[in-house]
Order: sequence, then C-alpha cells, then structure tokens
Amino acid sequence: MIEKKIKNIFITGPVTADFIGKSIQNHSSKKDIGGHSIFLGQVRADKIDGQEVAAIEYTCYEEMANEKMHEIREAIFAKYDLTCMHVYHSLGKVATGEISLFVFTSSKHRKAAINACEELVENIKSSLPIWGKELFTNESYQWKENK
Amino acid sequence: MTVHIILFGQLTDITGVDKITVENCLDSDSMVKSLQNTYPALIQSTFVIAVDKKIISSNTLLTDQCTVALLPPFSGG
Repeated sequence: MIEKKIKNIFITGPVTADFIGKSIQNHSSKKDIGGHSIFLGQVRADKIDGQEVAAIEYTCYEEMANEKMHEIREAIFAKYDLTCMHVYHSLGKVATGEISLFVFTSSKHRKAAINACEELVENIKSSLPIWGKELFTNESYQWKENK
Repeated sequence: MTVHIILFGQLTDITGVDKITVENCLDSDSMVKSLQNTYPALIQSTFVIAVDKKIISSNTLLTDQCTVALLPPFSGG
C-alpha cells in the first residue's frame, strides 16, 4: 500500500474568494463528481463586555495538527464514498467578515459529500490543536472558546 | 535527560515563553508539578498533554529528547 503524504492544511491569512473559486473550478475536469459540499467559517464580530472583535489571530501546533488531520481524512475517506476532500485553515490574523476555514468535499451523489463535510467540520473544531486569539477594536484580546 | 516542553494559546500568557527545556524529569505528572511550582497560575489552567504529538490521559514516563506539549482547549475554525 502506498502511504499517503501528510498534507499541510494551513495558509497564512484569510482564505480568499478567489482561492475558493479556483478550487471549485479545478474540479470541472472530474466528471464523476455529482455534488460538492462546502463549509466556510467566517470570523464574527462578537461583542464582549462592550468590546467588539476586530480580528482573530490563529496559531497552531502545526506538526500535530497536520498529522491529526491526516488521521481524520483517512477515517472520513473510509466512511464515505468521496471523490475529493480539501481542508484549509488560516494562520495569523483574519479580520471579521473574512474566511478562516474552508472545507470542501465532493462525491458522486450529494449525501456523502454533505455528511462528510459536516463531520469534518466538527472533527476539525474538536480535535485539531489550533487556537484563536480574539483581538478587539481597542487592542485588548481574549482567547476564543469554541461552542 | 532533556525534555522539551512547548506551550500554546493562553498558557503562553502565563509563562511568557512558548518553549521550556527541563532536565531530569521522569514522568508527565512530575513535569507538570514542577511547572506549576514555577508558574502557579498554571494550577487553574485547563490543558491536555501530548507527548511526541500523542495526547496522553494518564501519567506517562518521559524519554530523553521527547517533546511534551501543553494544549489549552482548542478553538480553531
């Protein structure tokens, strides 16, 4: 069995609409795909004690996160009949309104893509060693908690 | 015996550094105790421990040149 290479899911700064558009375009040659499912995580301008979030600064334990993502990827491929799976997460500063997480699954029929995408997002949030620091407009900060 | 400790997220606010090297640390419990002696605010902190990138759930023997990561609750996405 060929051992699959561990991919790097991290990109510096926000995931741009251009990048997402090109990723979709890249699949036009794969004619066995019948459905894509996409999740985009966007940085929200939460108000906490009168202060508004201006951006989130992401850091991670990169080696461990990529290894863990590799395990998640293998498990999802084994569970669902997918054609493609792509995951990208931002590092560094991402302003409110910008995209910090891009999960993209493709399959012959819609259900595999939709269910795999949802399960991936939940796993990414609960299992990857990534931390968000919420930077407020007044330059104070707090460490984000996932709900 | 040298153990490399790495810290992330809010834990670095407590320690002021993200890397600490310790000598003669036999297991994960004694490593945490000695860190908490140096940085008492860690006693109130929530974190899990990964030894060489694997999360452990009980006291674990450490080996020379291993990497111990202190991971506060994840908040990616």
